[in-house]
Amino acid sequence: MNVATTDLTRRFGRNVAVAGVTLDAGPGVFGLLGPNGAGKTSLLRMLATVIPPSSGRIRLLGRDPGVYGQRRQIRRRLGYVPQNLGFYPGFTVVEFVEYFALLKELPAAEVHRAVAVAVERVGLGDKATAKLRTLSGGMLRRVGIAQAIVNEPELLLLDEPTAGLDPAQRVAFRALLRDLGQQATVIVSTHLVEDVGAACTQVALMDQGKIVFHGTPDELVARGAGTTAAGDAPLERGYSAVLAEAGS
Amino acid sequence: MTATPAMPVPTRPGRTARVPLAAAGRLLRLELRRNVMLWLLPIVAALFWLVTYRPAMAYPPLWNVRAMTMQTSASAVFVPTVVGAAAWLGSREARHGMTDLLSGVSRPRWVRQLATWAATTCWALVAYLGCVAALYAVTAQQGAWGGPLWWPAAVGAASLPAFSALGFAAGALRPSRFTAPLVAVAAFLALELTAQFIQGDDSPWQVSPLVAGPWEIGADHGVATFYRYLPDLPIVQLMFLAGLTAALLGVLGLPAGSGGRWVRRFTAGLTTAGVLAAVTATALAGTGRLDPHGMIAIPALHNPANDRPVPYTPVCGDTPIPVCLHPAYASYLPTLTAALEPVLGELAGLPGAPARIDQAAATYRQESGNGVSISSAGPAMRGTPPTLHLLLPFQLARSATTDELTSELRTNTAREILNSVIGGDRRRTTDAQQAVAAAILKTSTLPPGSPTANAAQRFAALPPATRHAWLTRHVAALRAGQLTLAELP
Repeated sequence: MNVATTDLTRRFGRNVAVAGVTLDAGPGVFGLLGPNGAGKTSLLRMLATVIPPSSGRIRLLGRDPGVYGQRRQIRRRLGYVPQNLGFYPGFTVVEFVEYFALLKELPAAEVHRAVAVAVERVGLGDKATAKLRTLSGGMLRRVGIAQAIVNEPELLLLDEPTAGLDPAQRVAFRALLRDLGQQATVIVSTHLVEDVGAACTQVALMDQGKIVFHGTPDELVARGAGTTAAGDAPLERGYSAVLAEAGS
Repeated sequence: MTATPAMPVPTRPGRTARVPLAAAGRLLRLELRRNVMLWLLPIVAALFWLVTYRPAMAYPPLWNVRAMTMQTSASAVFVPTVVGAAAWLGSREARHGMTDLLSGVSRPRWVRQLATWAATTCWALVAYLGCVAALYAVTAQQGAWGGPLWWPAAVGAASLPAFSALGFAAGALRPSRFTAPLVAVAAFLALELTAQFIQGDDSPWQVSPLVAGPWEIGADHGVATFYRYLPDLPIVQLMFLAGLTAALLGVLGLPAGSGGRWVRRFTAGLTTAGVLAAVTATALAGTGRLDPHGMIAIPALHNPANDRPVPYTPVCGDTPIPVCLHPAYASYLPTLTAALEPVLGELAGLPGAPARIDQAAATYRQESGNGVSISSAGPAMRGTPPTLHLLLPFQLARSATTDELTSELRTNTAREILNSVIGGDRRRTTDAQQAVAAAILKTSTLPPGSPTANAAQRFAALPPATRHAWLTRHVAALRAGQLTLAELP
């Protein structure tokens, strides 16, 4: 398993953001659904080794991120797009992606090619030399994805990656996710259940810091079948049904 | 976005940087290309021209004066700029909301910060060295004697990494959009304030990079010309600045998350070594003493070989009594000869008159507080044939325009030369000596209608040859104070 967490908990003061999450994920696209404040972002930040857990155990790519040397090895093989993507407005697209390639310790000789491939994969080849300050929100999101995949990560963590993308871009992005998921473990946190249905092989639903559902998208659809749960699509009804059960 | 299943997926890159230096070089190049300091270069150049270059060019082309002026005033230009730029870049990650994204990369944060700091410092150094090169090139073109003084330039250059590290550390540890302007102003004020604490030649505050010599006399014309520029204080300042740089860069690597155990151990060692170096340098600066040649000597670092005079061939004017200057001051010679020629014509060939007038090296002595007395070493007239050793006005830490200098030479220097021949001084002089002096100097300081003034007028009205012949016969008696006004022709 590329991701294995056991009883993972994260507290911010008195607030428990993630409460005893146990999760395993192998190669493929893993969707993380849940309402606002469910703990998705905190879980992803722990998996991205940005913040340590308050308690519990994590193994990423077979290594312990609590140990500096192993954490560094994990980070070399990790891609992460946070929910609030910051950027340096004066950098060009290529420079920004190159910056992250170098910070992820790609060999200098391979940086140029890896950057070019990443920029092409997110469809920004024609904007490669544009300054980030001149790009739209959707394009910036794609720059964020390019920096995350520049090192061909084995574990890719995407927090609300489709926010700001137009429908055509989202369709293309789902195709990219499926492509990436053939070799790597891709965990996508999102509000948009249609993204999960189209791209994910596994899905987990979080509520109040806990995993309340873990299965395939079809299994989630089945949970909503025959219920009066809210939703326009079967997956949305499954989502609503699981949340309603968790809340009852 | 185009998902491109058809596109060949690149083979997975190697997971370790086989050539870490090449990667570090690329990172530095990237930071150099997008560094805010780059955009500040024109402003820095303009400020340097205004604050440093123009005032320095107002001085004659003397390496000592221009280099020491530059060390002090260039700091006022570069320090706030570099501190501000570095603080701005130090706070960049937090200001742009990049903290999360950058926390997930494998290269240690300290290395990343080091690249940004290095790029900022590189541009600052390029700007500084360019400005120094311009000032030195023009000085050399103006025919300055000797060679450039590199120690003041080295201290100025070494202050840039230190202040860049200061600004960067402030920005990184207290990230805010207000950090840069606040730290820039604070650094400028702190630097200027430290100079106010200097009391005497043994003040530890002399470690400040603003200080190029004894603080109270500043860039003095008389130092580092007849004798070498002492490297003692610059060495201490370089040691302090290197220590400060190391300590501040080390501090950046101390917080958790800056790097692994080795990075944190290394930065802890760097901080300790830096603090030790800075403290040692400050203590050494506190042992300084003003040496007789006007520089600050640090006993623990002093090399006696630096006390030897610098050999030179004087340049002499074509006057009845040759006036010779150190070649560094050759530009003053025309003014000097024009001002003194009338007096020298009267005195040439008189018994006891000097065969030559030489510029003397000034001797400096520390007084209480920041006072420094400057005088000539030994008696004015000495040697065989007799040579009169004079200190020129600009060696006495007095700056003057050409007109002021001419006036000073005609009144004070000419009188000093005259007194060395006819006797008397400002405090004790006979009426006959006063009258002869007034006649030769053509001054009107005597009360009109007084017997002395009348005698002076009478003596001045004589043909020069008659006056000279009388002086030849009577100068010994005049010098001895044995003549009365009635005995003057």
